[in-house]
Amino acid sequence: MRRKASLVLLAFAVFFTALAPLLRWYAFPRLAKIPAGQYQDMVLEAKPATLIDYGTMKAKRVPKVTIVQTLKGNVAESDRIEQTAGRDVVVWDALSYVAGPDGKMVSEIPERYIFDAHSQEPVHATGEMVDGDRVRREGIEYKWPFLTEPRDYTYFDAQTRTSAPIHYKGTRTFRGLEVYYFEQTIPWTKVRLPKKMPVKGITPESVEKMGTTRWYSTKRMFWVEPVTGAPVNGQEIHKEELRGGDLLPGGGKVTAFAGHVKMRDDYVDSTVALVTSQRTLVLLLTGYLPWGFLVVGAALLALGLHLEARSRRPGAGVPDDETPRPDPRPTPA
Amino acid sequence: MRALTAAAVGLAAALALVLTVTAAGPPSGRTSPKPLLTTVPEHP
Repeated sequence: MRRKASLVLLAFAVFFTALAPLLRWYAFPRLAKIPAGQYQDMVLEAKPATLIDYGTMKAKRVPKVTIVQTLKGNVAESDRIEQTAGRDVVVWDALSYVAGPDGKMVSEIPERYIFDAHSQEPVHATGEMVDGDRVRREGIEYKWPFLTEPRDYTYFDAQTRTSAPIHYKGTRTFRGLEVYYFEQTIPWTKVRLPKKMPVKGITPESVEKMGTTRWYSTKRMFWVEPVTGAPVNGQEIHKEELRGGDLLPGGGKVTAFAGHVKMRDDYVDSTVALVTSQRTLVLLLTGYLPWGFLVVGAALLALGLHLEARSRRPGAGVPDDETPRPDPRPTPA
Repeated sequence: MRALTAAAVGLAAALALVLTVTAAGPPSGRTSPKPLLTTVPEHP
């Protein structure tokens, strides 16, 4: 009986021990992915901010400018692209909507961001765009990969339509979470005017015809929870200028928008809560379960060996699979 | 020999479980009916 039990324990010991590395290095990279149908919104505010008054073509101080960012997973498009890409793909239709203090539109820039659901690598497919312009992203945008490393990454800047390094600047603690802090500075760069302008009758083409150009510079900061790769806080010191042309003769320039943009507090709270729950799930697959299975496997193996050793000890009883045959009955001669 | 068989059974069971779970994978879900926002939401 003991020998049977020790064999069963050995089978379970191997089962749990094998499960540990399989879970960490085979299952985790395949199971951890961004859901194709994810929907997320985010509100950022610059309080106060500087905004252009198109009536006077002068910059004015306003109490608040709000940026509403929405990311919406397009499942039908991801299914379509997956057929040719041969891997799990996420398609995010995004909108950055900037509202002035009166709630009216200052600018709105739509984007389509296509990336690998597991690794966050960009996937290049028809429809990838920023404000209607075809782009070819390199690096990441909005989110870091699972198990983010403390190193520089390449981050896509939607305004310039280019990618540049975003530098790892150290590990910090943010609302009780250990996070990696990243920083990217985009120097003054000439960028395109948004397709949708806030004043009726003014189009990007009409502004360009007058020779006026739009310039942009930013310093963006992210606090990224490294297990999930999700930013739990983000800020941007954002500056935009219109320069020269008939609108600003004599090589003049005017601030179109400037402000220190920060995530609204209630959104920081909800993001931290969401990331904390997701972090536990990722840690289950990468740490808690593999280590737990290893311990269980080792314990079962030890128990099996112990039972086996006891069954072999002299006087420990005869194992059931080695039951001796009964002595033959004496037969009369 | 029986110990080897028991170990093989354990290993096969672990492989079968992991392969089944990863083959099924998480569901992809469906596109949210919520719109891309052009107003400032009151709360998350």
